[in-house]
Amino acid sequence: MATANQKGVTDNLRNQLALAVRSIQWSYAVFWSFSAKQSGSLEWGEGYYNGDIKTRKTVQAVELNSDPLGLQRSDQLRELFESLSLGETSPQPKRPTAALSPEDLTDTEWYFLVCMSFVFNVGQGLPGRSFAKNDTIWLRNAHLADTKLFSRSLLAKVSERLQTVVCFPHLGGVVELGTTELVAEDRNLIQHIKTSFLESSSDTVINPNHDLVYQVLDHANDPENNLDDVEVCSPDTSSDDFADNVLIEGSSLADGADGEASRLQNWQFKDDAISNGLNNSTSSSDCVSQTQGNPVTVVQQLDGKKTSDNCMPVNQECNQQKSPPGFNGSDVHYQSVLSSLLKSSHQLMLGPNRNGKQESSFISWKDRKLSSRLPQILSPQRLLKKVLFEVARMHENARIESAKQKDKCDDHSGQEADEVDRNHVLSERKRREKISERFSILVSLVPSGGKVDKVSILDHTIEYLRELERKVEDLESYKEATERESTTQSKAHDSIERTSDNYGHSKFGSITKLLGNKRKSCDTEKMASENKRGRSSSSTDSITISITDKDVLIEMRCSWRQCVLVESKGVKGASAGAIKQALQRIIKKC
Amino acid sequence: MENSTQESHPRPENVVTYDSPYPIYAMAISAVNRRRVAVGSFVEELKNHVDILSFSEDSSSLKPVPSLSFDHPYPPTKLLFHPSVSAPSNLLASSGDFLRLWEVKDSSIVAVSTLNNSKTSEYSAPLTSFDWNEVEPRRIGTSSIDTTCTIWDIEKGAVETQLIAHDKEVYDIAWGEAGVFASVSADGSVRIFDLRDKEHSTIIYESPMPDTPLLRLAWNKQDLRYMATILMDSNKIVILDIRSPTMPVAELERHSASVNAIAWAPQSCKHICSAGDDGQSLLWELPTVAGPNGIDPMTMYSAGAEINQLQWSAAQPDWIAIAFANKMQMLKV
Repeated sequence: MATANQKGVTDNLRNQLALAVRSIQWSYAVFWSFSAKQSGSLEWGEGYYNGDIKTRKTVQAVELNSDPLGLQRSDQLRELFESLSLGETSPQPKRPTAALSPEDLTDTEWYFLVCMSFVFNVGQGLPGRSFAKNDTIWLRNAHLADTKLFSRSLLAKVSERLQTVVCFPHLGGVVELGTTELVAEDRNLIQHIKTSFLESSSDTVINPNHDLVYQVLDHANDPENNLDDVEVCSPDTSSDDFADNVLIEGSSLADGADGEASRLQNWQFKDDAISNGLNNSTSSSDCVSQTQGNPVTVVQQLDGKKTSDNCMPVNQECNQQKSPPGFNGSDVHYQSVLSSLLKSSHQLMLGPNRNGKQESSFISWKDRKLSSRLPQILSPQRLLKKVLFEVARMHENARIESAKQKDKCDDHSGQEADEVDRNHVLSERKRREKISERFSILVSLVPSGGKVDKVSILDHTIEYLRELERKVEDLESYKEATERESTTQSKAHDSIERTSDNYGHSKFGSITKLLGNKRKSCDTEKMASENKRGRSSSSTDSITISITDKDVLIEMRCSWRQCVLVESKGVKGASAGAIKQALQRIIKKC
Repeated sequence: MENSTQESHPRPENVVTYDSPYPIYAMAISAVNRRRVAVGSFVEELKNHVDILSFSEDSSSLKPVPSLSFDHPYPPTKLLFHPSVSAPSNLLASSGDFLRLWEVKDSSIVAVSTLNNSKTSEYSAPLTSFDWNEVEPRRIGTSSIDTTCTIWDIEKGAVETQLIAHDKEVYDIAWGEAGVFASVSADGSVRIFDLRDKEHSTIIYESPMPDTPLLRLAWNKQDLRYMATILMDSNKIVILDIRSPTMPVAELERHSASVNAIAWAPQSCKHICSAGDDGQSLLWELPTVAGPNGIDPMTMYSAGAEINQLQWSAAQPDWIAIAFANKMQMLKV
């Protein structure tokens, strides 16, 4: 029942606001009602947005008569505000889905949205003053107004087009109207709105009977009894339940704005103390058309796209000194609301203008002193590279060293090792590590088919050893055969050339054949030079051939010119021509 | 040099300095106890130390707590506290030869565990870095020179998975979500891994000169679309948008020497801080659209020596911690 009642009242109130604001074609209407959470302060009660709407990046003037559209837009804005406020408190940084996203808003809509987070004490801020004086306040050039009087002037300035704001007390709260046009004060306009829209229709809802009004408005988050005296008193026992209800209902708003609002209030209390003296004269219904200087130094635009520095840094400092704390307060509030809504910017990041007692240790990039640059660094990223590259190496070295030490220890304390089980396990592990290490050496020596498990390694080793044995046999039989043939050779040198030639012609044989050829050629050479050696009685090891897997290494010493040492390295699959060429080169040298 | 250093901090209390007996590299700020700061020494031998400092914003001081200092065999390549404010104990992790966990109590340090991912050896491949998963704090991911990343379940003290992440040494790792992490490597690539599909990774950036190693990686925790990386011997900070792989969305090039460290703002999605060999720490605000002349930083701080390390922790969002030479400084943002 209560909710239905409440909804009925708020709907009605909003319809009234909608009618009123549309009739005068202003941008928005807000009803500031008494807060259930903070006694003696005004908070967002209801609002209707009638201004420009941005759709798909183009700003469109809203059709003034499209009632459902306007109401829908106001609902969407409220929804967005709540979703953003919730987004801050929920652990996931993701925003709950809302029909609108922050990017879709016009500047005036942003103003409207951020206004939802404000709380005013009675006698303070535009609505608070209006309520306290029970009189209409008509503010022109709102975007230029002193923040002491109109704490949202910064916001208005950002939207840049909000020029006239009017507040008048109504129904135990304050109605605020705003437009982007400069409108001269017109008491008749207010009266017209009051009589024709708000009061006429409110009669249907709000009974003059005080008790009834109290009950109804109580649910509407708008205690009537605050009209007469500022302190909140709840004579009704049901108000406790009511407070709980509101707490739940309003938590989405309160969560987002509470922290900031309370801080804002601290500032604004001070503001009041200072500005009451200063501003009593200016807070008359007459407008504050101009303020001295421009208190805004760094303003982040509402869409968070850029930070604009309006003033030179020197001016900033002057302005900071001049500006009263109230300015900082609203600035901080503005920043914190934005940052909590958008999570886009940390409030302390928006420049040198901050509320903290400590200033930033960072200076503006524009003020940097070029001379303070360091001389060119010879080894860039020295420590970072050490951490990434060398610490790793240190660990590797340490591992090898400690492994060596352990090996030594093993040798010395081999008997002690079995004393304790743990030692035994350790030595067993070391033994296994040693075996693994030896296996890895074996793998590097034996050509394997890519398999590295121990059985395969052993298989390959056996196979390889047998192959090597066969090769040794082959070579020995060749040796015997060629020694017999060599007796008929007259000149060793020719023989080399001839055989080389032959192989040159048959160089496109299969790889195995080629390998055989090479081996033969080597043998022939060996034979030939041995012949010569026989004559010149040189040592027999002047020619060596080694075939390791794919590499064939021929090494020979010419007996005619003892200083020439030749190494010819071929790869299995290299052409016999290459070997021939290499030999010919050598021969030419000789 | 002295002059310029003094000019750049207008008021001494905005900068809190700790002078260490050793050069400092690793650094971390506790989430459980915001006043606790850990610094790791960098000495190229077996005797290194981790000191726990007490940071006081009110008295602008950083004082060592001698009872909480402990030895660390080799220089810790990274230090991190448990990321959760509500963690049951104040755990500190360090990387180097192993991933080690320590519990920082009020007046003592307890070595909780030493995590070795090698089943066959009492050694594991050296770790270049690690990252603590903020969403799932039992997970820590380590990066190693053996081209792998290891995901630990620190509650069980067991390896959850080990992935061959890159073709070469992996230099840094950063978590995005509970099961998604990214890493950078000497092979010059940034790759994203999803633990739900370990077979595949996505390369979202490759350094322009082939095989220019990428040294550090920072994932924007406020807006997971963005991450930042730095290259070897480069003054650039490369900002990546995972929605547009291979093409960086921005390159920040106002450091006059190589960049050593980067950190995203803990409470803002469009601010990043960097520090480099030019002795400067730059605060950047990323615009939605970059101008033709590149992006200028918002503000800067000059330390007067090569800044090697930078931390911007959610535990102390108003303070940026930097390390240069034997000094650690807390800078008011």
